[in-house]
Amino acid sequence: MLSESRTNVPEAKGELQTQEVQKFPIWEVFTKKKESAVHLHAGSLSAPDSELAQCFAREHYGQDQPCVNMWVTRRDFLTADSGENESYELFVQWGAGLRYEHVGEVEACNGVEARDKCKELFCADKKHFTIWSCPNSGITKIDGSTNMIWRETTDQAYRLASGYSKVVRKKWEALRESKAVDDYQSEDLKDTY
Amino acid sequence: MSASANVEVKVGDCSNEDPQKLAAFEEHVANGGLIEPNDWMPEAYRSLMLRMAEHHANSEIVGALPEGEWIVKAPSLLRKLALTAKVQDEVGHGQMLYEVAQDLGKSRNAMLRDLITGVTKYHNCFNYPCPTWADICMIAWLIDGAAILNQGTLAHGSFGPYIRTMRRINMEEAFHFKHGEDMVLTLMSGTDSQKQMAQEAFDRWWEPSIAFFGPNDRPDELERPAMRWRMKTATNDDLRQKFVNRFAPAAMATGLVINVCTKDDQGNVTSATPDPLLKLDEETGHWGFTQPNWEEFFRVIRGNGPCNKDRLALRRFSYEQGEWVRKAILDGTTTPCKN
Repeated sequence: MLSESRTNVPEAKGELQTQEVQKFPIWEVFTKKKESAVHLHAGSLSAPDSELAQCFAREHYGQDQPCVNMWVTRRDFLTADSGENESYELFVQWGAGLRYEHVGEVEACNGVEARDKCKELFCADKKHFTIWSCPNSGITKIDGSTNMIWRETTDQAYRLASGYSKVVRKKWEALRESKAVDDYQSEDLKDTY
Repeated sequence: MSASANVEVKVGDCSNEDPQKLAAFEEHVANGGLIEPNDWMPEAYRSLMLRMAEHHANSEIVGALPEGEWIVKAPSLLRKLALTAKVQDEVGHGQMLYEVAQDLGKSRNAMLRDLITGVTKYHNCFNYPCPTWADICMIAWLIDGAAILNQGTLAHGSFGPYIRTMRRINMEEAFHFKHGEDMVLTLMSGTDSQKQMAQEAFDRWWEPSIAFFGPNDRPDELERPAMRWRMKTATNDDLRQKFVNRFAPAAMATGLVINVCTKDDQGNVTSATPDPLLKLDEETGHWGFTQPNWEEFFRVIRGNGPCNKDRLALRRFSYEQGEWVRKAILDGTTTPCKN
């Protein structure tokens, strides 16, 4: 019944024979869900180089949910004080627990100046938690033309809860009273459907 | 010092911490404040949070193994697409959670290796067999349903990166769950043999589902660190009751019978009798139910379940087979890092 290569896997105990790999650098990923939205921090990943970081970023953050544009950068760039004279993308975490949000871009000569300018221009009197700045030369920007992020032209409803809700509701109603289905579905997480 | 999930720290022991910082931390958390990785936190909080995220990550990775086996045998193209997407999601959840855990001080690679050598654990329910397609349906409905209930409360926890990951994960679990419901309803509206197949799978998965929430609460549950520091926001028994209240009447409405079962060492059901305690208490609104067999639960956790060895053997096999890939990458045969 099982696929050949996965049956009769030899049992082994004790220490692994393979070498432990060195620690990979950490990369941060920002995704934009639709054209009218801003880039939000999606999460991090470990990858040895920029090319693989892009592959992983598409797999983990670009395909599972709608996504039209994605930025990938090394984590250490975001907090670095030094830098060249160029444009910096700015991200603000408005409070603990919230996602970093892309607020804009400034010209600066290093990370410190970029973050100072961010406070002045984008935070003004608003309370904020932390700021990340990233030189534009350090960000890989990926858009729909690569055909690897969420494809809006293909129907991917089968991988969203909302893709099932109507047909499931119909099936429940064939078996139960409407009120019983309502009670049962009241536990469904509102923000995820 | 970096905390390690395999070192037995005395959970909740803060005797070495600066009392002033500790008091400020506890007040912040008690008032609903959130913690980010660079904030000050007691070492015990760091290590407990790390263990929680690591265990969660391990469970996502191992949970994908029994489901992965069924991709090639899915009954239709749509089901195959959905199951493939589900397996991809689960592994992705594992990756994201390893990143959260890594930021608390243990390398991702050490976590992957500790899982394989049995140093760390994963969720107990994946140590049971999955012999039919109906088991895939029940896992998606019951286990993912239980996971949503549990993770819905974890998303109100105190550690910022973990709760952000939890919200993202729940969005995907919602699809797994709806897909599971659709599959169970399809079977239960089908032929007699489909219904029988569903009932047999339900008998195998009902008990692991109610055991999913973990052992019964201790008398001092609310005082224990995980609750006090808001890593968990609901107790195991509360969640279990909530699960039964929701799923017992739903299962019965589809025609499924909730049985108390005995199982052999292979996880096959040897006897099934309707749960004698299954009754709605009109006053409390709670459904009565028979507790899972805790003796068996702890026996399986200690590594003696029907599938513990298979799951780890497959994980180890895959890891060792992948060594040449890691080597090729590190030998610089791909593009080096920018800068």
